Amino acid sequence: MRVGLLPREGGGTYRFVILFLATIGILISSLPVIVVTIMSFSASEYSSFPPTEFSLRWYVEVLQLFTSEDPSSAQSVVDSTFTSLLVAFLVMVISTLVCIPLAYALARSNRNLREGMELLFTLPLVFPLVMLGIAFLLIAESLQFDLGIWRIAIPHIALVLPFVLRNCLSAMNGISVEIEEAAISLGASPLRAIWDVVIPLMKAGILAGLIFALIISFNEFTVTFFMYTIDLSTLPIWMYSRTVSSLDPATLALSVFIIVVDVFLVVLVDKLIAGRGNLF
Amino acid sequence: MVTNTHLNIEAVSKSFGPVTALTQIDLKIERGSFVCLLGPSGCGKTTLLRIIAGFEKPTKGRLLLDGADISDIPPHKRGFGMVFQSLALFPHMSVAQNIAYGLKLRKASAKEQRERVEELLTVIELPDIADRAVSALSGGQRQRVAIARALAIKPKLFLLDEPLSALDAKLRDNMQIELRRLQQKFGVTTVLVTHDQTEAMMLADELVVLDHGKVQQAATPTSVYRQPANSLVADFIGAANLVRTRVGENGRLVLFGNTVEMAVDHDPGTAVNVAVRAENISLRSAQADQEAAGRVVFARDLGAFKEWLVSFEDQEIRVRGSASDEIEFQVGDLVTLTVDPARISVFAAS
Repeated sequence: MRVGLLPREGGGTYRFVILFLATIGILISSLPVIVVTIMSFSASEYSSFPPTEFSLRWYVEVLQLFTSEDPSSAQSVVDSTFTSLLVAFLVMVISTLVCIPLAYALARSNRNLREGMELLFTLPLVFPLVMLGIAFLLIAESLQFDLGIWRIAIPHIALVLPFVLRNCLSAMNGISVEIEEAAISLGASPLRAIWDVVIPLMKAGILAGLIFALIISFNEFTVTFFMYTIDLSTLPIWMYSRTVSSLDPATLALSVFIIVVDVFLVVLVDKLIAGRGNLF
Repeated sequence: MVTNTHLNIEAVSKSFGPVTALTQIDLKIERGSFVCLLGPSGCGKTTLLRIIAGFEKPTKGRLLLDGADISDIPPHKRGFGMVFQSLALFPHMSVAQNIAYGLKLRKASAKEQRERVEELLTVIELPDIADRAVSALSGGQRQRVAIARALAIKPKLFLLDEPLSALDAKLRDNMQIELRRLQQKFGVTTVLVTHDQTEAMMLADELVVLDHGKVQQAATPTSVYRQPANSLVADFIGAANLVRTRVGENGRLVLFGNTVEMAVDHDPGTAVNVAVRAENISLRSAQADQEAAGRVVFARDLGAFKEWLVSFEDQEIRVRGSASDEIEFQVGDLVTLTVDPARISVFAAS
């Protein structure tokens, strides 16, 4: 018979406390999503919650934004979306290409080096984002040449590296040296052994890292806010510019779309790593 | 004279920084023989196997395979099949893919690969598991697949690193027989590392006892068992008693209070260690006033044999008798101990 983890006596109180805390937690984390989703169906131009009438007009407006020329801003939503996707793609590919060999080297190196390097790569997480933005801006402005899209992509890579590295490292953890040596003893060169055995076994962790990199880069705002230019802007920046003076409900409809895609990707990650991943 | 030495290990030493793992190992391994490297943990046996496989470089010395120096050949070009302690099957590949991996690397055709996999699965008596995932196999099946994978490449040497240590006793016994059968069928020169002396005795043509990074003895299992080269070997192999005693004034060995009719190479009066196995000692009831008697302090019947611990002077001697022995000795009985002089080994006391 299974023994409950919680004591039975006074179990009602324990259960109540746990349910209460869980409800608060879920409410706090999902409330913004709920509000944004409800508001996006509002029929009114004025941003008051809860809306009194419902319609799909803002979704129609988003469609129009994407299909027709928008004279009101220098960077259209189409351009911003394209930049966001391109940056996210570059960030995803580059950070993964950096992290796979790095995770391999760290996992096979001694523990002190590994822990030191992990800490080093975690620094962008603890650094205040505003300061990070300013720092990257100073660096970019001091350069004699135009960075192009890398102006935004490079700071994003710094931000996603810890997430991608952690995922790759935890994927490496279960891969013993013996399994590589087994491949080598059968005739695989050391590189071939990595390609045939290590990479396939890291696959879930790599894919999880790729998706996290994509989501984090696509949604990044603070650092990008310092880096964007008139010619180069991302979707979060565009959405902010639409809401800074007065709330444009169309951005809410757009957000709902982004949330749906993000949720889909997160569920995908969850399925992929099946509890083996390591977000932090 | 044509020598039949397949692998010649010449003066191999290995140090890891300040730690010396192996000192001056010289071994000649005969073609087609089954060699067991036996020793307690930390004796350097796995290091020696890894040097043979090429995963470690010897600090000094060299390896000759059929007379050619292979010391500088990387492990993936040596063509030795290896079975690892953890088995190290590839979990993302099916059984057939695991076995065919070495052949795929050798650019064998799909047909050749399929035939070889089929052949090996038949040999390991698991013909129906080709498409199964490795995770769906039992411990014994994994074992066989790991062996088949290593043998699939027709290895020049077959190396095994304690491959049976994870199995339960009954399965291990079956696998030992299986392994010996496979080795003889393929006639492949085999080196197996183990710390289990029963396993080593059962499998080996030649037993190499390693301790403290040195070869203590290399001989057939029977002669290692009957004539251990030194007290380290005697202590490690089997349930041997190491008895502290001395050589009598007449140059004869004194053991358990009696003079043993046996010439020894030690000066009269010197202290010696005598290795004598539990099953080579016999007990007789002694009278209360008899000198040179020991007292039974522990008795147990293990079914196949009986075992007693006899306290003699300040030492405890383990004695084993066959289950059919009529005489029962109880704890507290006084006994005399006698040994067959042909079955004892005498070493200088260290």
